[in-house]
Amino acid sequence: MKVQNKQILQNRRFIYSGLIIFLFAFLIYGFIRLQVLKKEVYVRQSLSNSIRRVRLYPVRGLIKDRNGKILVDTRPAYSVAVIPKQTNPASIAYLAKSLKLDKQAILDKIKKDYGFRPVIVARDIGLKRLVDLEENRLALPGILPVVDTKRYYPPDVRSPHLFGTMGEVNKVEQLLNPSYQSGDMIGKSGLEKKYDREMRGIKGTQYIRVDASGKELGVYDKNRNVPPIHGDDLYLYMDYEMQRFAESLLAGKRGALVAIDVRNGGIIALASMPDYDPRLLSGKIETAEWEKLINNKSHPLFSRAIQSAYPPGSVFKIVAAVAALQEKIITPQWTAYCPGYFKLGRKIIHCWNPKGHGKLDLYGAIKNSCNVYFLQLGLKIGLDIWTKYSKLFRFGQPTGIDLPGEAPGLVPTRAYYNKIYGKNGWTKGNLANLAIGQGELLTTPIQIAQYVMILANKGVYYIPHLLDHIYDYSTHKTIEFPVETKYINGISQQVYNVVREGMHQVVNGGTGWRAKVRGIDMAGKTGTAQNPHGKPHAWFMGFAPYDFPRIAIAVIVENGGSGGHTAAPIARKFLEKYFYGEPLPEIIVKKDTSKTIRPVAPAVPLNMEALSPLPVTVPEDSLSL
Amino acid sequence: MKKNYFKNFDFILLFFTLSLLAIGLITVYSATNGAGIKNQPYFSKQIVFAVLGIITMLVIAFMPFKLLVRTSFPLYGLSIFLLILVLFFGVKGYGAERWLALGSLKIQPSELAKLATILAVGRYLSAENTDINQFKHFMITGLIILLPFALIVGQPDLGTSLVFLALLIPLLFWAGLNWFYLFVILSPALTALLSFNFYAFLIWMGVVFAVLYFSKRKIIILASVFILHIAVGLATPAMWNHLRPYQQQRILTFTAPEKDPHGAGYQIIQSKVAIGSGGLWGKGFMHGSQTQLKFLPAQHTDFIFSVLGEERGFFGVSVTLGLFLLLLLYMLYLATNVNSVYGGIVISGITTLLLFHVFVNVGMTVGLAPVTGLPLPFISYGGSFLLVSLSMIGYALNLAKNRFEY
Repeated sequence: MKVQNKQILQNRRFIYSGLIIFLFAFLIYGFIRLQVLKKEVYVRQSLSNSIRRVRLYPVRGLIKDRNGKILVDTRPAYSVAVIPKQTNPASIAYLAKSLKLDKQAILDKIKKDYGFRPVIVARDIGLKRLVDLEENRLALPGILPVVDTKRYYPPDVRSPHLFGTMGEVNKVEQLLNPSYQSGDMIGKSGLEKKYDREMRGIKGTQYIRVDASGKELGVYDKNRNVPPIHGDDLYLYMDYEMQRFAESLLAGKRGALVAIDVRNGGIIALASMPDYDPRLLSGKIETAEWEKLINNKSHPLFSRAIQSAYPPGSVFKIVAAVAALQEKIITPQWTAYCPGYFKLGRKIIHCWNPKGHGKLDLYGAIKNSCNVYFLQLGLKIGLDIWTKYSKLFRFGQPTGIDLPGEAPGLVPTRAYYNKIYGKNGWTKGNLANLAIGQGELLTTPIQIAQYVMILANKGVYYIPHLLDHIYDYSTHKTIEFPVETKYINGISQQVYNVVREGMHQVVNGGTGWRAKVRGIDMAGKTGTAQNPHGKPHAWFMGFAPYDFPRIAIAVIVENGGSGGHTAAPIARKFLEKYFYGEPLPEIIVKKDTSKTIRPVAPAVPLNMEALSPLPVTVPEDSLSL
Repeated sequence: MKKNYFKNFDFILLFFTLSLLAIGLITVYSATNGAGIKNQPYFSKQIVFAVLGIITMLVIAFMPFKLLVRTSFPLYGLSIFLLILVLFFGVKGYGAERWLALGSLKIQPSELAKLATILAVGRYLSAENTDINQFKHFMITGLIILLPFALIVGQPDLGTSLVFLALLIPLLFWAGLNWFYLFVILSPALTALLSFNFYAFLIWMGVVFAVLYFSKRKIIILASVFILHIAVGLATPAMWNHLRPYQQQRILTFTAPEKDPHGAGYQIIQSKVAIGSGGLWGKGFMHGSQTQLKFLPAQHTDFIFSVLGEERGFFGVSVTLGLFLLLLLYMLYLATNVNSVYGGIVISGITTLLLFHVFVNVGMTVGLAPVTGLPLPFISYGGSFLLVSLSMIGYALNLAKNRFEY
């Protein structure tokens, strides 16, 4: 066989060896590029490959009353989540059928973030469905039950209008507040909405190792995890006992009761009836229940105390009185004669007392709530002055209470009338009506309560607020609600004294005598507001004690009839509970028909020895010092 | 007598081979480790094949030189026969027919064909009366190589068939083919590549024409070579359209893996992440997150070098590639220093084959070569190829031992 020609081969070997070395250098270059130059990029990528960031949701802050009683709590609820990358259409179809959900809705929801992050598709599914899903878990890839939270209300807590509802964040809310992430549960109304940022807490992060199939293998690095921070707890100014009592007073009626502590603006009670059970809107909302609430004609979802604007009726007469006195249009001694009706042009307006009140000064007119007197007074005052004083008492604008959705009410002005009726289309009749709190004027119960507070404090007022303080878990500090003292300029103390005296007489022998609390000197004003919906609305507003006021109260019962008959007793019971801890027994005047003579001697014989002084013995040396 | 056995035995070659085999076994152990896997079935199997392979290697190393030469053609015949069998009775692998089931044993005839082809070429060219620069002998040599290529392309296994094309030029080069013929053979490959761009193709044709003009050969040869170029240029785009979709995909993915992160590009991306995150020193044995959490596809076979890169870092990569480089350069040295043409061609053929496997496999893991199913010699899991690789080293050992024979 042949022998190789080594001469040629030496050459060719060098060429070939060079090629091999070049190819290996090329490979080494590839490794240097990846492992040395771009190492950081790939290290990060490999971490994100195998390490999954999981959000840890904080416990939402609780709501408590001034005594620390828990009003709104958080409890676990079972929800269903879908891991988009692991699931399949059959599982989604099964899920939709089992939970009675729309399949397309689930698909749309998980399409938004496609990946390994579980997306909650149904909340608070209940134990029965949970068990069903758990049993079929092997057949349903990518579908897992997760423990979620929902609001819990202790058995004796109701007040849905105060606390409000929660719901999943929508796109608009996410745009307004970019810190919200899709799937977050946020407050939608009430305190939950107002203080959402405080109560929601701060989310934590956990790093979990996963394999290529997305299976969780355990904690990655404990030191990297960030625990969630508990949301701030709210402490309300109110004693929930009073709130509950206020709600019980309105039970079966349509109306509202607002009580404010006049010393700082704290809300003592803010009741609105009818209401609904807040548990119905916590966690999963049953469609049937929701439809019922929406379609209910008495609108239980509505917070009448801050969202309903009513004609105030006679409680507004005090504004006319203050305006007339301050502008020196009348003196308290100015009198008018009430024959029981008032002729305005060809129109006859009746006083509530068809017999007439006869000759009245301002005190008598307030005490008896005489319409004829105030109709005449209204004509003397004129629209512009009346509007000015209505606005001074902060009508026509929200009070600024810490609840969302407050209605501003309406104070008609010259411009408003010109717009509605045309420049000369409105008459003095409109103006006269305003003076007795009728006509286009609209006020909310919270505005009336604020107005009484201003009268009680002779011009000093505070923004009404439910919150007293919050407890912040991130700093472990208590943050007080910033109470600001405000003052109404332009009304003299003498004027306040006159109208307060008038209101004093209302309760003491006037139309509001049924509001009088035994042993408490107080003042008030009734109102009976005509409205197109049937019987007049019954109003009562008052404050107590008269000299050093502590509480201001406003009560309205829709279509309740006369304020003195319907609203005043509700206010009295509430004030009795406030001052004495419970409503006092009613005095029933009965004629003694037994004709037996009872012994006058005390029921329990007095031990006379108890009255003698106690002997005190003192060691002698203690005195010698 | 015993002293005689190990006379001229090449311990250097043995050392490189066993070192690489050891690295391979450790890496396979790590790559196939995982939760729920007990007793390391892959590792145990690989150990069995390694032992079998070493025995085979030593048996071949101590066979008489004459026997090697005489069995060359029969072995080639056997492997061609098996390749034809595979066409009819093959078992499907990963989208390509390439396994032959013998009872419970599955073998890949294409692996045997790689070695047998080299032996056959060596045997043919070592005959006294053959001259590679004669057209007839040149054509026969080409046929010996292209026959298994054609059979394997038909399987259809693109990666393995490319090995035979890669063998062609270095074998002819080593056999002493003159530069003009080398140009004639090599240039069509460039023509095929450039045929996808019309202007590049035109310029290249100008260059080819100039080289041919200055070579001063017979006009008829020059014309036919030039026509061949034109034909290749026209045929290549048509051939491309004839490739299987997954083959096209692999080639395209190679150029831009990020375009298809969940499909074909997934393997390359995950491999690059594994290697890149290994850094200089690696994440440590059994601590590669990409490997241990099974993000790497085919991590114990085709992508085993990614495991090495992740767990051992640039250091481990350099050591392993260094061993391969030394092995290949040393074998070229052997190829030059054996007396027989047979020995020179066989050793250089084996060198070429190993080089091609190493370059394509390792290049693939860092994104420098397309994804083909080529295993890494001595390191990838897989019995057939390990046996063949070790047998090839057995041939090299034998030829080195008998370097003065011819």
